[in-house]
This record gives sequence, C-alpha cells and structure tokens, in this order.
Amino acid sequence: MGPFDRLDGRVRSCVGERGFSRFSDAQEQAIPLILDGRNIVLIAPTGTGKTESAMLPVFSSLVQNPSQGGISALYITPLRSLNRDILARMEWWCERLGLKIGVRHGDTPMSERRKQALSPPDLLITTPETLQALFMGKRLRKHLAGVRHVIVDEIHELAGSKRGAQLAVGLERLHVYAGSFQRIGLSATVGNPDTIGRFLCGERPFSVVQVPVAKQLDIAVKFAGTTFPEQVSALTSLIGHGGSTLVFVNTRVTAEALAHELIGRGDVEVHHGSLSKEVRIDAEERFKNGEVSTLICTSSMELGIDIGRVDHVVQFGSPREVARLVQRVGRAGHRLNAVSKGTILATGFSDLLESLVIAWRALRNEIEDVAIPVDAADVLANQVAAIAVEYGEIERGQVEEIVGRTAVFTKGTDLVDRVCRQMEEHRLIRLDGSRIVTTARARKYLAANLSMIHDERKVPVFDIATRRTVGTLDESFVVGFVHTEAVFITKGQLWRVIEIADGKLTVEPARKVQGELPSWEGEQIPVPFPVAQEAGAIRREKTAGDYTGDPDAVRYIGNFLLEMERNRTPVPSDRLVMLENTDEGVICNLCAGHKANEAFGRVVSALLSAKFGTTVGIELDAYRILLRLPSHVRAADVRDAIGALDPVTMPGILRLTLKRTALFKWKLVQIAKKFGAIDPDADFERISIQRLLDFFDKTVIQQEAYRELLTDYMDIETAAAVAGLIRKQEIAVKTGPLSIIGAEGLLTSRDEVPPPAADQAVMAAVKRRLESDEVILCCMHCRNWKSRTVVARVPERPVCPKCGARLIAALKPWEEQLYADANKKKKSEEERATELRLLKNANIVLSSGKKAVTALAARGVGPENAARILRSLTDGDAFYREILKAERTFVQTHRFWQ
Amino acid sequence: MNTRFIGGGPALLVKNRSRTLVVADLHIGIEADLAAHGWHIPSRSASRLERLLTCIAESDPDRVVLLGDVKHNLPQTTRQEYRELPGLLDAIREKAPLLVVPGNHDTGIARFLEPGELLPSGGAIIDGTGYTHGHTIPAPELAGHLILAGHHHPLVAIRDEVGCALRAPAYLRAGVDAAALFSRARKPGERQETGEPDPEKTVRGTRETRVLFMPAFNECAGFDVVRILRHPFSPLSRALRQETVEIFLADGTYLGPVRMTEPGEEYGPV
Repeated sequence: MGPFDRLDGRVRSCVGERGFSRFSDAQEQAIPLILDGRNIVLIAPTGTGKTESAMLPVFSSLVQNPSQGGISALYITPLRSLNRDILARMEWWCERLGLKIGVRHGDTPMSERRKQALSPPDLLITTPETLQALFMGKRLRKHLAGVRHVIVDEIHELAGSKRGAQLAVGLERLHVYAGSFQRIGLSATVGNPDTIGRFLCGERPFSVVQVPVAKQLDIAVKFAGTTFPEQVSALTSLIGHGGSTLVFVNTRVTAEALAHELIGRGDVEVHHGSLSKEVRIDAEERFKNGEVSTLICTSSMELGIDIGRVDHVVQFGSPREVARLVQRVGRAGHRLNAVSKGTILATGFSDLLESLVIAWRALRNEIEDVAIPVDAADVLANQVAAIAVEYGEIERGQVEEIVGRTAVFTKGTDLVDRVCRQMEEHRLIRLDGSRIVTTARARKYLAANLSMIHDERKVPVFDIATRRTVGTLDESFVVGFVHTEAVFITKGQLWRVIEIADGKLTVEPARKVQGELPSWEGEQIPVPFPVAQEAGAIRREKTAGDYTGDPDAVRYIGNFLLEMERNRTPVPSDRLVMLENTDEGVICNLCAGHKANEAFGRVVSALLSAKFGTTVGIELDAYRILLRLPSHVRAADVRDAIGALDPVTMPGILRLTLKRTALFKWKLVQIAKKFGAIDPDADFERISIQRLLDFFDKTVIQQEAYRELLTDYMDIETAAAVAGLIRKQEIAVKTGPLSIIGAEGLLTSRDEVPPPAADQAVMAAVKRRLESDEVILCCMHCRNWKSRTVVARVPERPVCPKCGARLIAALKPWEEQLYADANKKKKSEEERATELRLLKNANIVLSSGKKAVTALAARGVGPENAARILRSLTDGDAFYREILKAERTFVQTHRFWQ
Repeated sequence: MNTRFIGGGPALLVKNRSRTLVVADLHIGIEADLAAHGWHIPSRSASRLERLLTCIAESDPDRVVLLGDVKHNLPQTTRQEYRELPGLLDAIREKAPLLVVPGNHDTGIARFLEPGELLPSGGAIIDGTGYTHGHTIPAPELAGHLILAGHHHPLVAIRDEVGCALRAPAYLRAGVDAAALFSRARKPGERQETGEPDPEKTVRGTRETRVLFMPAFNECAGFDVVRILRHPFSPLSRALRQETVEIFLADGTYLGPVRMTEPGEEYGPV
C-alpha cells in the first residue's frame, strides 16, 4: 500500500480535488512515517511540499480520531506573515474535512482569542512566543491537554537560537499537560540533521527524512565589478527578461540603494524587515500576480512566504554561508523537481573568491552545521519565571525535570539553582526552601519578556552642530557604553557625547579616532572559517579557473594577483599572514573568517595593549584585522606579539580582555534584562552605568554573557588552532607594505581593547606627565648657563654647552631663583644651604643622567628622595613606580597642603 | 596638616592636632531609587558599611566626618533607609565620634542623629580644615582654608592615543576665587554682624582658599571630571580657578593637571 492509500478516504478525495498528480520525494518518504506516529525531522528545500507532507497525515489522524474537546494539533511557525499563507492553504483543507482551524499570534484581536478559549480549534497555528502565552490561561491550559501532534516549521531557524531553546522548554511544559505527542520538524537543508532531531525531541527517538538539494541547483558566479554603478548595470542585465527574479542582498542599506537605482524601471519592488507590514504585503502580492517582475529583498524573504513562481534567484554580493545560498536559490523553480537557477553577482576581489567557494560547496551539499545553544542561563531564567507564574509555586526538582528533558539544557548541573538564586536577588521569584514561588514583579516581567528576542529601543542621536538627528543607537549599547565625553562612530562619522538626556543622545562632531561602532546586532552574517581558508587557498594556488568557467571572473582574479606581484606585495593566503603598516595602525591579513578573526584579533590586541600600555582599537572582516595602534607600534611589533601567542593561554586572555569592552557590556545589559535586573523602560540617564555593571561580576548573568559571546560572536578554538599552526610554522607570518588586498574591503566590527591593568594606564599617564614637565637645567661648574626645557627633550647625559662640564642641576620652574642665589658672591647661611642642595642635585644628574632629571621633576622629590629612588636601581615601569611612591608620600605631608 | 589617602574607601584621613577620617556621599538607600528607575539590585549597604569600618580600623581616627549625602532619597525617607541607617550610624559611633555635614539628599537626616552630630549645612571648620557638602555656598568662616567637599563624585577617565583606558574615582584639588565664591553669602545691603569673620578680609590676607573635592564612597555614583569643569553645577565648582586644578587617584597617585588625562594636541613634548 503506497502512502497515498494509507491516508483517510476523505483526505484522499481532497488531494484529488487539489489536483496533485503525484507526491514529491519528500512526501513519499515522510507520510508513512507520520502515519505510523513517529517523531520526524523532514529536511527538504522550499517548495517541495514540505507543509503538505506533514499536514496530510495529520489531517488523516484528526478526522479518524476526532478531538474530545481541546486542541489536537499545533502548527508552530516563526514569522507572523507565514501564518497568513499557511492559513489560506489550511483553511481550504480544514473546511472540506470538517476541521476547525484557528490562528493566534501577537496581533490576533481579543475577540478571536476569546472565541478560541471558549471553542478551541482542532488545529491552532501559532508562533513560539504565543505558545508561551498559552500557558498563562487556565482554560487554554486545559485545551492543551488534548494535543497529539506538534509541527514546528522552519525549525532550522529556531534550533540555532535562544528563541528555539525557549521553544524546546515550551514543548516540555506542554508535555506536562498533554503527555506524549508526535513531534514533526520541517527544516531547510542543514549540515547536521540529527542535531535538529535532538533539538526537537530531546532523548526521544526520531527519524530523519532528507531530500538532497544539490541535484536541483544550478548556480553561476559572475563578477559584477568593483564600483556600485558597474554592479547595478550587471544586475540590470539579469532582470526583466520575461521571468520573475528574486534579488537577495545582505543588508537593508544595500536593498534601499539598489531600489533607489532601479525603481524608475517600474517593474522592481523592494522588501525588507524595516518596511511596514502593508508595504511588504503589497510588494509580495504584486510580485505574485506578475505586476512586478523583480523583487529586491533581504533575509526576510528566505522563509517560506508564498510569492508564487520564481524563475531566477540573484544573490547580490557573496552570500557568506553555504546554507544561506542554498535556501535562497531554493526559492527558484517552485514546481516540484524543477531545477533552481541562481546567479551570484560578486562585488570585489575577496567577494568573488568567496562566492566561488560557496557556490562550489553548495553544489556538493557541503552545508554548515547548526549549533544549538546549550545551557543559556537567560532562557532558563525566562522559563523559570514563566513556570512560576503558570503554577504559582512549584518544586525546583520539577523545573529541573522539565528542562532536563530538552537537549538545550544539560542534565544534572546546578544551573537551575544558580539561576533561581540570581532571580531572587532581582525579586523576580521567591525561594522558599526548595519551592519556587512567583512574585508581583514576575507577571509584569513576562508581559514585556514573552520572547527571547531583544526588543531594542532606539535612542536618537542629535548633532548639536547641525541641529539634526543623525541616526539611532540601540539602547543596550547606550546603556552599556555611552558616557559623557565618549566618542563613537555612526554613519561613518566620529561623534563625541555631550549629554544623555530626555531619551536622546546629544553629540558634536569629534576629530580623534577613539571609536566604537554602535551596534553588533544586525545583518552581518559571519563567513565561516573553512570558506575563508579555501578562498585563501585559491589566492595561493591561483586555482580560480577550477571553480568557474566565467572568463571575466578568471581574468579579473588573474589581473588582481598580477598587480600584487608587480607591487611586490606578497599575497596573504591560508598559509601566509601578511602584516601591513598603514597610517592608522597595522592590518593583519588573516583568512580565518569573522568569528576566528574576532577572537584572534582581540587576543593580539590584548597582548599589544599590555606590552605598550595603550588601548588598541580593532576592526575586522573575514580576511583582515585592522589594529588601531599609536604611531610607534608597527607591523614588526605585531609580528612579535603573534609569535608569542600560546594556544593554551589564549582562551583565558580573551575572557579577561572581553570583560572591559563595549561588546561585553552590551550583552551584559541584554542578559540582565532577561533576568529582570533591568526593566525594559529603565532610566539610564541619571545613573553611572559603568559602576552598576560591575555589580554583575561573577554572577550567572556574566557567565551567560561570556558563553554567548564565545559561541556566537567569536571562535577561540579556531583562533587558538591557527596560533598553533603559526607556531609549527605551517602558517608563515611576514611584514610588508600596504597591499591592495590589505586596503580592500569593508570592515565590519569595531571595538576597543583596554590595557589589562589599571596600573598600566596610570603608569602611562604619569610617564606622559613627567615627560612634559618643565625643568631648568643649570650648570654648577661654570655657574654661567641655564636653560628651560621639558624632560622629554633632555639628553641622556646633559652637558653644559658653555664649559663642557656635566655637573648640571635640574630645577623645577619655580626654583629658578635658587640658581641666582647659589651663585652670589656673598651668600647668607640660607643661600649657602641652597648652593649645597643644588650641588647635591647636580651630582645626582652627573651620575644618573636623564633618569635623575626625570626623578627630580616629580612632585615633592628633591635631591634626597631622588638619590634614594635612583639607588633602588630600577628601570622602566619599576622606576616610575618608585617615583609614584615618592610622590604619594609627599602628597600626604604637611608641605603639600600648605 | 598631613593626610593619608585610603584607596579602598575611598576615604581621607586628615591629621593635624587630631585625626579625622572623612568619607563623602554614601548615598545609602540608592537601591530604592534605582528600582524606581528600572534597575533592580539588592541593597549593598552592608558591604559599604564593612568597607567603611575597615577604613576606620585602618586609620584609628579621633572622629569620623560624613561629608554629606549620607542617605539618598528625597524628599521622603524610604523604608530601606529607615531600616538601614540607624544600624549603620550606630556601627560608626561604636568606633569613633560621628559628625555629619548635611548634603542636598539628607532631608530628614536629623532624626537619625544624636545631639551635636549634625553640623550646619554651610559646613564647619574642624581642626583647621573646612568641611562642607558642596551643594551650597560654604559658610563664610571657611574662607582662607582648605575646604573638603563632596557632592561632585569626581571620576577621571584616562585616555591614550587610541581610546579610553581607565575610569576611576578621583580627587580634585584646586584654588578657589574666594571673592567670587563668598561675596554672595551676604545679601546686598546687609550689614556684617560683629564678630563674624569677614571673608573678603581673609581673602585679602595671605591665606588662599583651596578646595579638595572627594570622590563618592558609593560605587554607583560618578561624574566625569571634565564635565565638572566644563559644566560646573555648584557655587564651589563655578568658583574654581581652572588653571590650578590637579587630579589624584583614590590612593593619592598624582595624575597631573586636567590636560594630562587627555593626549593629543595638548600633550607631549613640543
């Protein structure tokens, strides 16, 4: 009996009515398994009838075993707009099968919600967040007890995020009411389907049905030029030839820029998350009905919104990840088993190499793995609060059991205990022995924290010079980093903060580069390490021709590499790291991808920072790390620092370093919000945030900040492995002048690494002060020469230009008169004493040279103290520390306070 | 007069004929204010008290002066403050006599103090040094002295060529334009009371009036020194002779004049 025949008769006649002539591969394999009641993960490209694969057997089960009151099936999907599409299809089926269907999400009107509570649908379509809300109502909880099937759509999107972790716990909370239910996950192509299965089912058994996508992809890579006009023209040649085209871009800014250029044609529309719902729906409709033949979109269109037939997918600029390319191109050729045609338009040298590598891998189905977040403390806090409100009070053991059934929390750790204690500090719950009890704040907290998505308020930035608003910053960034006099970069401009008041940031243009980029959240997709390395290998082996037959692309790459040769700049690759000097610092050309470069760059910065006592700014992309350094630190110094890297100590250094950076504070604030420590509408203007954040030291909040940053934003394991290869000399590190590869490209993430010890910073400040102190050199031999200068300008061994002697006293500016006194023909007793002191002074300078002059310039340090400091025979930092000690003593004496 | 900078306070021990331990801006009860503004952290008054008692133990003073803003919330006194202040003040009294110069946040502090502990709001001279909170014009008798003041919570940011390296509590010492500061102490047309020291006369004398702004003891508070100087918000800060300003860290390390904390055109050999 084929799958078709196993379906209930009523379902079969609907299938006939719908006009399906045959089932897709996905459907053939999945339907029997679902009819058998098994848990299943179905991995197939978009447009292969995934939804029907799941729903037909579920409908079959629903009509054969009608509900006893209550909801029988939940269809969970991440985006609200998906509900519309699927709803339309489902409504058709349900109507014919006599099943009740409902939709519930954030925008569902009260009347509809009440209806659902009184008369629950058989099938409820909802979002992960609204599932959380369902547990809040007594009646709804009763209805949930009847759930027999749960379908999670676009599960690959959820599995890798905290939203997914929250959903996983939600499913186990559902289990408490409904007992065992069938779990069906619908996923796009991923590298590790089993992980998706574990995410969905915990330790329960599951099957994987995977429909390979590679045979269905036809991907070409074209070089579009290095300037925007060239790229637009390359795009224009691909669109409007009668078919429908989706043009994917990586950032909203690019989407708007392209739309601006092309909107005049009349057959182009744009679609991205910042546009209003009406505008987006309008664009979708017009594309679907053929009014518009080209739609420019961002990742908002990756998910399965039905926009009708797509003949061709164009990816503008490298897609960065293989999975992303596969999903995007997969939108083309909507009919079953038709080939999906895609073209990547590469926009520069590195972009082109990267695109070649990604296209190659896509055709070989080499897709990145999804990493599920494990032991995310803020997700746990959110769920503990939700469970506390749901039950009123509950034993901690029960909570541990619920989360222990998921794959996103490790069984048997003390995380639940630690999270509960932290939550209690913020009055989110109360602990009564082993019972967790809800508090008044908990409900209010949940109302604002139903989702794990950070609802960032945007703070407007107002330029006092032009009296205009120049942009917005994420509130968490403002809270974590901004203070008066802080300098940051936005819209390519430097700004200094004047005031934070009335919900806005008042700034003025700044000149010095001391900046941090406002937000790390957003559309920057990291290029994975293997892709960056392979692109580096193409540079080295000059094998672009193996990846593509396109003559323009091959020619461009060849010319570029030739130019590098002509300039005598070695080509950085997967085996060669080139360090190049620029005006702003040193560029480290390392092909390791964003996350490894981030970790590597920060550790090197920390070492440079410690060695030179200065802050180091970093900006990077997948192939380069720009280290902003003071002018005396050069490529050779960076090479030494890299040479000193020890893979074993790198993780520790990174953790230490991270703590004082803006990125860390931003994350800390976000996570603290999830723990109820900071309200969403908290006032950040009147309080010294910096000091407050210290409060979270050594807490589970800080631990989570580390965990998230070290898994999602930076990859220290790979960075350490690279350092290991450098040590073994399998990767060479050389210095050289700025090359066209080094100078190329968009640098995406900027931050600063402060020196590790406050001590260093103080030392640096004191050294600077002493260097710039004024000093009067006077010859105690001929008694006829004096010169006013600054310490920095004093030679190592001062010599009198008049008589050639080295017996030179160093006086502070207000002691100038003493020289005249000491040289009088007839001296009073006091003046005689002065002369003796000056001679003592000069003797010290005679024996210790400039070091003595430096010591004598310090506050309250006279010849006796100077002599003592010099006798300590210290050098460098230790010498300055002796000076500081002497000054500190002086500051506390009577003389200082007169 | 000698001083000892106690970095782990921050606190200052002033030694003249007797030993006075000075601490400014405790802001006990700040957590209730923070909670009202969306920041929910438990009270850290206990750890603050412990830190203060350590300073007392280390310095063995003859008296402890709290330089204002002992409590935080105004105009009312909160439940947290009612709960925490008595114990805290008693713990100090056990170790040494207590004197309090009231600050702008100290509304209603009198009911927590014993007779003789509360000094006038303009401040007072104790053992040769002047003490005032710093939100008002100091009492005229403080002219010609070194004046210790709180209220400003100075924080210094040390920057180098590339960015900001350190932010820490700081002391600010500076000369004060006494004529400008005290001349408004008396209303126009008012006659000077006999026996009251004439501030202008003192100014014309040889003793300069200087101020030492103390960092806040409460770890949550702080204003950048540059802001204090560029946008002064008190009579004292407005009367500063800016070219005489010197910055010290909490442990007494002398950082230098203000310009030393910022590199760039203003710094370095010519």
